[in-house]
Amino acid sequence: MTRGIVFDIKEFAVHDGPGIRTTVFLKGCPLRCPWCHNPEGQSSLPQTMRGSAGRRVAGKTYTAEELARLLNGQAAILGSCEGGITFSGGEPLFQADFVVAVARRLEGVHRLLQTSGYGAEETFAWVLAQMEMVFFDLKIIDKEAHRRYTGAGNELILQNLDTLSRSEVPYVVRVPLVPGVTDSDENLAAMAEVVGRLRPPLRIDLLPYNPLTGGKYASAGMAFRPGYDESRPPNLNTAPFERTGVEVRVA
Amino acid sequence: MNERIARLQQRVREGRHRVYRQEAPVSVLAECERERLSWPRRVARLTRRQCEAERVVIEADERIVYTRTLPAEMPRLYREEDWEQLTAGHTLHELGPISNICADWGQVLAQGLGGRRAVAVATRQRLADNLEAVAFLESALETMDAVLALAARYAHRAHELGREEMAAILERVPAQPARTFHEALQALRLLQAVVWLGGNYHVVLGRFDQYMWPYLEADLAAGRLDRAEAEALLAEFFIALNKDSDLYPGVQQGDNGQTITLGGVTPAGEDGVNELTRMVLRVSCELALIDPKINLRIGADTGLDLLCLASELTRKGLGFPQYSNDDVVIPALVAHGYRLEDARDYAVAACWEFLIPGRGMEVVNIGAVSFPAAADRAIREGVAAGEQFPAILARTRQQIAEQVTGLAGTYARLLLPPAPYYSALMSDCLERGQDVSRGARYMNLGIHGAGSANAADALAAVAHFVFDEGRVAPGELLAALEANYEGYADLRALLAEEGPKAGNNDKRADRLLVTLFDFFADACEAYGRTPWGGRLRPGTGSAMYYVWLTRGQEGMREPLVGATAEGRRAGEMVSANLAPAPGAQIRGPISMLQSFARIDYGRVYNGGPITMELSDSVFRTEEAVRKVALLVRTFARLGGQQLQLNSLNLDTLLAARAHPERHRNLIVRVWGWSGYFCELAPEYQEHIIGRHVYG
Repeated sequence: MTRGIVFDIKEFAVHDGPGIRTTVFLKGCPLRCPWCHNPEGQSSLPQTMRGSAGRRVAGKTYTAEELARLLNGQAAILGSCEGGITFSGGEPLFQADFVVAVARRLEGVHRLLQTSGYGAEETFAWVLAQMEMVFFDLKIIDKEAHRRYTGAGNELILQNLDTLSRSEVPYVVRVPLVPGVTDSDENLAAMAEVVGRLRPPLRIDLLPYNPLTGGKYASAGMAFRPGYDESRPPNLNTAPFERTGVEVRVA
Repeated sequence: MNERIARLQQRVREGRHRVYRQEAPVSVLAECERERLSWPRRVARLTRRQCEAERVVIEADERIVYTRTLPAEMPRLYREEDWEQLTAGHTLHELGPISNICADWGQVLAQGLGGRRAVAVATRQRLADNLEAVAFLESALETMDAVLALAARYAHRAHELGREEMAAILERVPAQPARTFHEALQALRLLQAVVWLGGNYHVVLGRFDQYMWPYLEADLAAGRLDRAEAEALLAEFFIALNKDSDLYPGVQQGDNGQTITLGGVTPAGEDGVNELTRMVLRVSCELALIDPKINLRIGADTGLDLLCLASELTRKGLGFPQYSNDDVVIPALVAHGYRLEDARDYAVAACWEFLIPGRGMEVVNIGAVSFPAAADRAIREGVAAGEQFPAILARTRQQIAEQVTGLAGTYARLLLPPAPYYSALMSDCLERGQDVSRGARYMNLGIHGAGSANAADALAAVAHFVFDEGRVAPGELLAALEANYEGYADLRALLAEEGPKAGNNDKRADRLLVTLFDFFADACEAYGRTPWGGRLRPGTGSAMYYVWLTRGQEGMREPLVGATAEGRRAGEMVSANLAPAPGAQIRGPISMLQSFARIDYGRVYNGGPITMELSDSVFRTEEAVRKVALLVRTFARLGGQQLQLNSLNLDTLLAARAHPERHRNLIVRVWGWSGYFCELAPEYQEHIIGRHVYG
């Protein structure tokens, strides 16, 4: 029986893909991006959140059958609302067995993967085969800088982006604009160049940094150490992306 | 919106029209005593003197006139001792005068007050031997003549000011049938305002887009009016409805029942949505005023374009439109004795109850059944007696039945004061020669069902922890409840945080929620006919009872509840209408709709909405607004009865900061992500509050 750990299930997630969606947040992530806004998604273990409204345990274990049954209870509704299920995190690829086992049990409902792209090549391909749309994050092209900021290199990410490009699954590239980290003209141009070589995505979403990023760390009993200047407005230079001919949206 | 309308709105918002107000109320008691007038004649005299005492106010740029100048205070009609004698042994509803019904506005606009007058005269002749009928009809005539005299004074003043267009309109209406949209709006403004002047309140406006559309349609077809002019007139009418609301009685200011109901089917069963339906939604969106409050009747097949327009209005954060589902409401009304054509013609009352315009003299809110008190007594007594869960449920059923019987018993002695003017505006009171206070086609009494989610959670917690799992000993639960959970923090946390919750699509709790309403419907049905010949209508609303039932209120007939088994401490509020208990963790709107759609609305048909708060950041894009419309359609398709969607504004965020325990599920859009407002550190909450102020 495949089990997984989920830190939240959020309904009516209007910004997580087409239509009305229910988003499953999978707990555990191999990356440690300092701008992560879901710090409780990083560890694979249950964690108590202490907010002003009281306690909440983030991290509930489900069997694939249980979670699929819960989600299938809404499948018809989500379908009639042009939406479906979004797998987010944390990093869904980190619990690939579980995600695949759940996705396979979903009954006729649209499936979307929201991913950092960090995972073994065959793992990514395996999960991708279960998905009908992918939101793929692209952060930093320079390998060293990527390792320095996220704790891991970007080789797998770029490889998986290439795999995605060679598939027929529609996808969106999402770029967080973190001031002084991802938003340099040089990095933006390098990302645009990568995207320009791919099968065109549906869209490129630029996500300007928001100073609320650190909001949940205290609740999760974690320290927020951004290491960059949060107050500096991000560079909103869309020009390099515009040149790819793909629709660019600043979220 | 043109400059003139902006100016009118600004003037009303700033309250500049209040300079015309008079300080002293009129006095009628002395003449009533001197002439030894009957009750109906006293009420008529009041209306007449109020109309006579009104100062005429015509602002230079107004095209729909009437500004109330009389104060809020209603003059006495009887000496204290006589009043006590008159009402001894009776129950008065709220303040006494008839409230929260809906006139047949379409009829009076079509016939004119002159037409209604002719009916009264004819009936007086026909029923000349019936003293009561004659007294009623003469009272009604006195009031109608008073309104006509007031209109004549307005017309005269308009002439003096050289405002010939206004003078012509006021010479025409409300005396004669309205011919144009402008005339109809002016007539309605005056006719409705005088209902307030007579002391009646919660003056519901009903199916505005149905009875007004023929006038607008004819104007548009004849080229007398273009759409922009029509929208300006409509806007002016809506602004006028906001002029006097500080003079109207209500639990809170704004609680004034000036609701309109849009859309739905016609009495013949055809689609009633028209261009005016959409125009009202658009104009209301532009004005963003609290009146009129808008209800939209929909069904499973209502077009997404209309729902998108309505969602744009929700986005404004005003808390309306409220949706009613024709597919559910109409069959329920028919099943309970309403004629099909009347059921199809329903309008929504001040809050959510269903009214038949012109034909209903229903008192839709005689009180509330406290589900938390019923369940709590059953739990405490049943557990103390060593009973199993089915016996506790049986006790709950008994408690609910006793509360229903008690409320209905109080209202068996209901006394409705005569309302001759309001009667003239109803469908057939003048025709029958009978005041509306003496009867109408529909005379049912409505009862709210308050705190349902908390009560379901309390029962579910007992079933789950005490009986199914045995994790909580019966004696421990009782001791904790007695101690208001002092010294039982862990038990309280277990019950509150790990128990099954209604509204989360969890069958363990939802089943009990449904059962509570079944018990309620059983009790109302078992009660049978009231002395009025009507029935008891059970509902799902709470009104202000989510506060009162937990904190008490002077004169309240409902039982007060202390600490309850879902981990709620004494004094903490319960859920409003149909919503998860405050603080309960739920997955979101879809689960909520699934849960509350399970109630048997075929039997629980007094109204009361599923109440859902969405952060206004959800509404940031047009694409997301469309998703809100899809959510509304889902509500209708799942078979919900009513839905109230709120877009949160600054006030709610401030309340969430001050009382996070009540807003645990408040989701705010932060960046490319959403989070729980209450899990954000104070400075981040501050930031969001700041953004809403300045954004």
